[in-house]
Amino acid sequence: MPQTIYVSPRSLGAFDERPPAVVTADLARLFAGSPALAGVSLRVEPGATVALLGPNGAGKTTLLRLLATVIRPSYGTAQVDGLDIGREPELVRVRVAYLSHATGLYDDLTARENLAFAAEMLGTPEPRQRVSRALQDVGLAGRADDRVRGFSAGMRRRLALGRILLGSASLVLLDEPYAALDADGMALVDQLLTAWREAGVTVLLTSHAPERLAVTIDGSVVLDRGVVAETRGHGVSELPSALDAPSATRPQQVVS
Amino acid sequence: MSGLRSEARVALAIARKDALAELRGRHATVSTLFFAAIVLLLFGFALGPDSARLAAAAPGLLWLAIVFAGILAVSRLHLLETDDEALEQLALYPVARRAIYAGKALGGLAVMLVLGLVVLGAVGVLFAVDIGGALLPLLVTVVLGATGIAAVGTFYAGVTVRLRAREVMLPLLMLPVLAPLLLGAVKATSAALTGDPFGELGSWLQLLVAFDVIMVAAGAATYGYLLED
Repeated sequence: MPQTIYVSPRSLGAFDERPPAVVTADLARLFAGSPALAGVSLRVEPGATVALLGPNGAGKTTLLRLLATVIRPSYGTAQVDGLDIGREPELVRVRVAYLSHATGLYDDLTARENLAFAAEMLGTPEPRQRVSRALQDVGLAGRADDRVRGFSAGMRRRLALGRILLGSASLVLLDEPYAALDADGMALVDQLLTAWREAGVTVLLTSHAPERLAVTIDGSVVLDRGVVAETRGHGVSELPSALDAPSATRPQQVVS
Repeated sequence: MSGLRSEARVALAIARKDALAELRGRHATVSTLFFAAIVLLLFGFALGPDSARLAAAAPGLLWLAIVFAGILAVSRLHLLETDDEALEQLALYPVARRAIYAGKALGGLAVMLVLGLVVLGAVGVLFAVDIGGALLPLLVTVVLGATGIAAVGTFYAGVTVRLRAREVMLPLLMLPVLAPLLLGAVKATSAALTGDPFGELGSWLQLLVAFDVIMVAAGAATYGYLLED
């Protein structure tokens, strides 16, 4: 594995000149009438690495899926780099990379073919070189021409991380990035977080192992039952909710 | 123009990926061809050994086999995207939704064309029909019919791909919509095989072209909504 991981270069600009990486305003999502996310108002600074913490069912994955435009909000709004996720999802997708619980790989294609397909979808310049470099960066160069069907869960996870390296996202969303990885794989995630930080990429990640993240994150948000319980550190802050006005109604109250 | 070129590139990449996965896994082709062969044989047994009767029924049997097997083919091709939530990943790429539809439909069309040509040959052999004398109009009919089935099938496979009862729902949704195509394709095939004595072949082919244009346009315009939760 090389010492430095290749991340697409970007024009950072002065820190203050960049819009907030993420702004959410009373963001909520209901599933079958129940709020998985019940009104979250946050601001994440550009280039920050922020952990979303909380118990199962707190709304961490739902928040990531909303920002990735996989699902649409039931209430509230969110912006990524100043772009509204509901009104401009196509432009948001150019700026966002998302690693979900599933890896979204094709079993009958090889690791190289999977990444080559992703490179075509992402419009990656010099795709052959970038695919080879990404495979090398995630430690799969030796298995590049093997079909993914024979890969372990950890190898699939590495390959999905390699796919993120092919794009030029300014916001990377990682849902349990350490899941299924061995010690080397976890070290790879740490290396990636460092590379993204140095490239000015904003990272939002969930984890059930906050002790692992202590040295790699700027701040954290603790979610509980779909709302922000606490924000800690730098790079993230809770915003006042417009629904705190006396006449306003939170989604739980709407449902009940 | 560059937008259209970019969409065409994306569509071809998706179709190529589907073709590669199909060549490796043969998820759609083998099961589809076996199914079509069984449909032809069973209908042949049901109609009996009368060769004149079999030849008269051949256009209908040809298209019933293609339509039934085609439903299976588009369903199998979409199942590739359900492994490991690949469809969700596909929807996350910053590409036009209609390009995704076009790519999936092109992949479906490739399988449908293979299926159509094999079934056409099988009908010629099993039912003693002279397809060589009307090869060009028959090929045009197969191409137009296959395009329509791929266009409709890609859309409805997208509708049902997340449903547990998708194997039941897909034919229930597709068959009523495919009725005009089935009618046009059977009539065009019949006219081609009989030398077009009433000069109706052109009209039936026009119906197939109109069906294909409408279904491709509708699918491209609406497929994107199916990718959202």
